[in-house]
Amino acid sequence: MTTETLLQRATELLAPFSKGNTTPETNRLDVQIDANDLPAATSALISNSWGYLSAITPMDLGAEANKLEAIYHFCEGAAVTSLRIQLPREDRPRIPSISNLIPVASFFERELGEMLGVDVVGTPDSSRLFLPDDWPDGVYPLREEFSIEQATPVEPHETLPEFGRTGNKFTVPIGPQHPALKEPGHFEFSVDGEVITGARMRLGYVHRGMEKATQERNWIQNLYLLERVCGICSHTHTSAYAYGVEKLAQVEVPLRALAIREIIAGLERVHSHLLWLGVAAHEAGFDTLFMYSWRDRETVMDLLEELTGNRVNYSITVLGGVKHDITAENSHSIHTALDYLEERIRHYLNIVTTDTTFLQRTRGIGTMNLDEAKHFGALGPTARASGLVRDVRIDSPYGAYHHFPVSIVTDERGDLEARFVVRMKELLVTCFTIRTIVDNMPAGELTTRFPRKIPAGETISRVEAPRGEAFYFIKSGGGENPVRVKIRTPSLCNWTSVLNKAVGHQLADVPMLIAGMDPCFSCNDRMITVRRKDDSQTLSWSQMREYGIKKYAAMREMK
Amino acid sequence: MKIGSMFKDILKSFFSAPVTETYPLKKPQTAKRFRGRLHFDPVKCTGCNLCSKDCPAYALEVIILDRAAKRFVVRYNIDRCAYCGQCIQSCKFKCITMPNDDWELAALDTEKFTAYFGKDEDVARVLENPTPSAPLKEE
Repeated sequence: MTTETLLQRATELLAPFSKGNTTPETNRLDVQIDANDLPAATSALISNSWGYLSAITPMDLGAEANKLEAIYHFCEGAAVTSLRIQLPREDRPRIPSISNLIPVASFFERELGEMLGVDVVGTPDSSRLFLPDDWPDGVYPLREEFSIEQATPVEPHETLPEFGRTGNKFTVPIGPQHPALKEPGHFEFSVDGEVITGARMRLGYVHRGMEKATQERNWIQNLYLLERVCGICSHTHTSAYAYGVEKLAQVEVPLRALAIREIIAGLERVHSHLLWLGVAAHEAGFDTLFMYSWRDRETVMDLLEELTGNRVNYSITVLGGVKHDITAENSHSIHTALDYLEERIRHYLNIVTTDTTFLQRTRGIGTMNLDEAKHFGALGPTARASGLVRDVRIDSPYGAYHHFPVSIVTDERGDLEARFVVRMKELLVTCFTIRTIVDNMPAGELTTRFPRKIPAGETISRVEAPRGEAFYFIKSGGGENPVRVKIRTPSLCNWTSVLNKAVGHQLADVPMLIAGMDPCFSCNDRMITVRRKDDSQTLSWSQMREYGIKKYAAMREMK
Repeated sequence: MKIGSMFKDILKSFFSAPVTETYPLKKPQTAKRFRGRLHFDPVKCTGCNLCSKDCPAYALEVIILDRAAKRFVVRYNIDRCAYCGQCIQSCKFKCITMPNDDWELAALDTEKFTAYFGKDEDVARVLENPTPSAPLKEE
């Protein structure tokens, strides 16, 4: 179906609830609805297989409008339908939950509650997702009146749930610090014997306040701030932001610059998937594969350093173009590096599909069928391994993907093995695409003039990260700073599937199940830092040493 | 299905040199585009302040002593710098470079993390003044 027919269909489905439709961009439909109609409107969309819930944007419309807004974004192909619900500022605004229809909404609703102070009625879990436990009640970071002084820590009232035995069941806490987790996150698995019966999670341990911070920085500074949303897919975030801002500014970026962005995105995918292969192999106890895949990853890291000047935060994107060209010398290095990598990737694909011991940890584990993948809102390779054809690069091509399309890799089996196969095959496809672009580099400039002030407006920018769709909602008020930047990273959507699929598995499979979706905690957590009033102090080297000696002496005495 | 698909890799590794680098015994060659510590040429500077406005890490500060006489001092907080290179893009007069060989910046003394660029007498004046970020007028 074309985008027009999709939007037409959405208009018809939502007609009974609509209080006014607008079409801000050609691929978008905004429908104002009443809060009470939300479950019915959502149901109208999803029961007719119109799209998946991509994100919920909590937004404060400011003192003048005196309203809060919750925007529910549904995506199907290139079309985006947003249900916009205006809420009063005072008297604890209420909105009904849609988690029973769409499980992934639970995370977004927790965010809506803690960031904007909206009561989500009937949400299964209203505990904090991102904000720290000692965050004061009634202080909502995304409200306009919020200031950091309000965020003075209080005595944490929500203590961790009781661990240990309740009846015949045990609750096993994993994290925030745990050897199996490479980044901090907290999971509670209730187990019956060795079998998992329930799972819960808590994020926010690396929360940095980025969405709020974007409002205080200008459009250019934000490019580098958002690059640091994630240490693995940094280019994804800068490009998602840049594509959005370029749309708002109505600036045409030269094709050569777009092609270079696609090359970097491809190389980023290669390094991300090789990193993931290592981590996942390590979780399965296959450390040899971990060491080798990470050694080979250095090839692509060195290549990225040569092309962009940096290994991780490449900073090659600028608003309106890119910083560096790809010269003949560079294309030669790209081809040489890819020759080696392709050979290695084929080798790893062979290993993960033939090694007996390894297959015992992956084959038939965490199997998610197509319907489940749809229901849980899975994204990226996790979804594609269940046969769900969902890839923003193909559904809604951005940048140079019109000119240099990629082909999609799917697998029907839906288990951990399928996720390995999809990712490895995806790398071969990516290598092929990179070679095609390098051999057919379009001529043109690298950058174009870019205004400092962006015309008022709203846009949605979706980019396929190595882990799935990254969703950006950007609103400009016409000034030098954005009014609102909402970031939804793919890991947040994939958690639902992992937590639900963990039920019925052995506890020992948990690290592999978590690793199987390639989670990225830093992407999930973006918000607030808490400054404690008196705990900051500067110690000299000798003072610190003295402090250490005293502390350990005290500890010895206690023993 | 077979056991030990990686035996070949392991055997090969017995006879190849380690891929890890021996820094600091041998200083590795960084890529040409690698961004090291920032260097500023105050002679070309016009005091437009764009580098400092666009710096995402607030690492650059242009202190204007006298705009007419083109006397500027740039304070660079090395410990804040994120090495993104946006200042190079923002500067229309090519005052800023980040050479790829100047990257061994670790120090035990925090004072080494502030650098001043400008004429010697201007830098001295900035250092004397207790509130150096406020623009000074020529006496």
